[in-house]
Amino acid sequence: MVSAKTRIVDPMGMHMRPAQRFVQTVMPFACDVTVLANGREVDGRSIMDLMSACLKQGMEIEIRCEGRREAECLQAAVALVESGMDR
Amino acid sequence: MHITELLPEERIRLRVPVRDRDAAIDLLTDLLAQTGGTKDRAALRAGILAREEQGSTAIGGGIAVPHVKSAAVDAPALAALTVPGGVGWGAPDGAPTDLIFLIAAPADGGETHLELLAQLMGMLLDPAFTQRLRDAERPAAFRSVIDGKEEDGRAAPAPGSGRSDGAPRIVAVTACPTGIAHTYLAAEALERAGQALSISVKVETQGSGGAKHVLTPEEIAGAEAVLIAADREVDLSRFRGKPLLRVPVGEGIRRPEDLLRQAPSAPVWQGGGPAAPPPDETAGRRFYQQLMNGVSHMLPFVIGGGILIALAFLLDDPALGYETFGTNRPIAAWCKAVGGTAFAFMLPVLAGYIALAIGDRPALMPGFVGGALAMSGATFAQPDGSGVSAGFLGALIAGFAAGWLVRLLQRLCGRLPKALEGIKPVLIYPVAGLLLTGLVLCAVDPVMGMLNDGLYAALSAMGRGSRILLGFTAAAMMAIDMGGPFNKAAYLFGTSTLAMADLSAGGSGVMAAVMAGGMVPPLAIALAVSLFPDRFSPAERRSGPVNYLMGLCFITEGAIPFAAADPLRTIPACAVGAGAAGALSMLFGCASPAPHGGIFVLPVMARRLAFFGAVAAGTAAGALLLALLKRSRPQTTHT
Repeated sequence: MVSAKTRIVDPMGMHMRPAQRFVQTVMPFACDVTVLANGREVDGRSIMDLMSACLKQGMEIEIRCEGRREAECLQAAVALVESGMDR
Repeated sequence: MHITELLPEERIRLRVPVRDRDAAIDLLTDLLAQTGGTKDRAALRAGILAREEQGSTAIGGGIAVPHVKSAAVDAPALAALTVPGGVGWGAPDGAPTDLIFLIAAPADGGETHLELLAQLMGMLLDPAFTQRLRDAERPAAFRSVIDGKEEDGRAAPAPGSGRSDGAPRIVAVTACPTGIAHTYLAAEALERAGQALSISVKVETQGSGGAKHVLTPEEIAGAEAVLIAADREVDLSRFRGKPLLRVPVGEGIRRPEDLLRQAPSAPVWQGGGPAAPPPDETAGRRFYQQLMNGVSHMLPFVIGGGILIALAFLLDDPALGYETFGTNRPIAAWCKAVGGTAFAFMLPVLAGYIALAIGDRPALMPGFVGGALAMSGATFAQPDGSGVSAGFLGALIAGFAAGWLVRLLQRLCGRLPKALEGIKPVLIYPVAGLLLTGLVLCAVDPVMGMLNDGLYAALSAMGRGSRILLGFTAAAMMAIDMGGPFNKAAYLFGTSTLAMADLSAGGSGVMAAVMAGGMVPPLAIALAVSLFPDRFSPAERRSGPVNYLMGLCFITEGAIPFAAADPLRTIPACAVGAGAAGALSMLFGCASPAPHGGIFVLPVMARRLAFFGAVAAGTAAGALLLALLKRSRPQTTHT
């Protein structure tokens, strides 16, 4: 398993479109993806799970990936979050 | 913030049949406008539609949450709608959407919007909750379901806070045809139910990304019972000797607690035939799943083979020999041979995996061979396979026949003494299954052969009559069975006219019409997928664009996966589109000197622009008709 911490930069937070993009980004790597924030763990491959975590701008999150291509998956996920997600 | 504070009864409409997504949005914005939720309905509606254009707000599982931040509202407001049967909303799992929440937030709403979305999502994650919402008959009941859930939310632990530990008492597998949403929703529901009942549960999810949380042999051995919640075939061989309960994936979402209680008292799975089919599964639905098992396994052969054959035409030069176009240069010939080899597996794989879905592993071999026999057209009269191919329709018959014959054999063999148990899979099923399937094909293939001869004779007779009618008929026949007797008769007739045609005048008009007819089906399907994605499954949407290439290269087989999955709608649409292209090609006086090649032989054809126009017109007609026919049926709810 690999993990990394990052921060939500999107001023709107993790609303639906970013959540969809996040799921689309990590899906191709076929890894288990978990997002930790607010003291909760949510499934990073579920739009509903991600949105239910209510991730706001400035919040620190931890992303964990586990699977054969976990490093690539984590890199893509972090890059997406740091890009602001909504562009 | 309470959800229900923003959602008075007047903004809830239940069980309203609406035509499509836009009608649902109209109704929801009306509800807000009528109750003072917005001061500018038109602006609100435009904002919502603009958001949908950026990406569907359907999140799978039949739920959509259209939302907008808009100056047209002063305070956050919600509206809700349930639709019997659902409407197409471009959901990630392709399922129709029947539970819709509209969220309108003020433009300067800051984080309220996000919090509202998050709160609602957290609730909608619970399938039991969404089911209660769907079941609600009156707005007051709908609201009290939400109120009840909000109370729970404060007491219950956050979702995903832990999985069952220790050795599982019940092991489960969840799977759905697309493997995007229901697989995981069911797994989550089962895990939660396990926590509520203090039963340790481990769920293996067989989703689109492969199997996750795979059950180990020790876990299976140590478990009391096995629960399979799946809408597609799951390999059951590892669960031999365990009590096994098999249900559709939706049951796993709707009543997980019941299932966990029932599983230990389920009958012990002994292997052999498939487990008792899910009780509430209709025959039609099972038939569809079996069919799709064949189609989904065939698809890679069609795509891989088709693209290599297209490459062969791309790398070849028709001027080196019209008749042998595609094999003139060594590199082209090699690509064509490799692609052709992949195509040769198409019908066997289709039939084999249909049979597998019906009769489990013993049926795979008879199904494969049955598909190969359908392809070669082998009969008593022509055992060497020089007969007429029964095409993919013949392969469908072969697959279902093999599956059911093996099921029958399994039932008959149930009465044999235990001592013979060991020879069933190694001797009885293979030999008897193959023999019986072969006999069935002996009945199918001659019918196809006679059909072929009759059609050829009919086309020859028509050759003396109206050329336009001939063009229509020959081209439409190309699209009817894409490799079976109709297609072969038309193609053979087309090539036979080449021999008599004046090549200096461009070649044969019938050949051009036939080629147009063979190009239209994949093109029409690709166009329909591009223009009307709602009417196709997610897998079809992904493979659709490849059909542009196949169609342009005159590789009609690209249409087969679509035709096999939904023959009654796809074939008529393709045949009409192909016929129109053929008739136009004749009308315009197009002619081709080459029997293969599609777009690549265009430069050597007579009246090439007109031919291109004829194909384009036929494609448009076929795509529109396909969209119309597909629209007229209620969306099949799988996943």
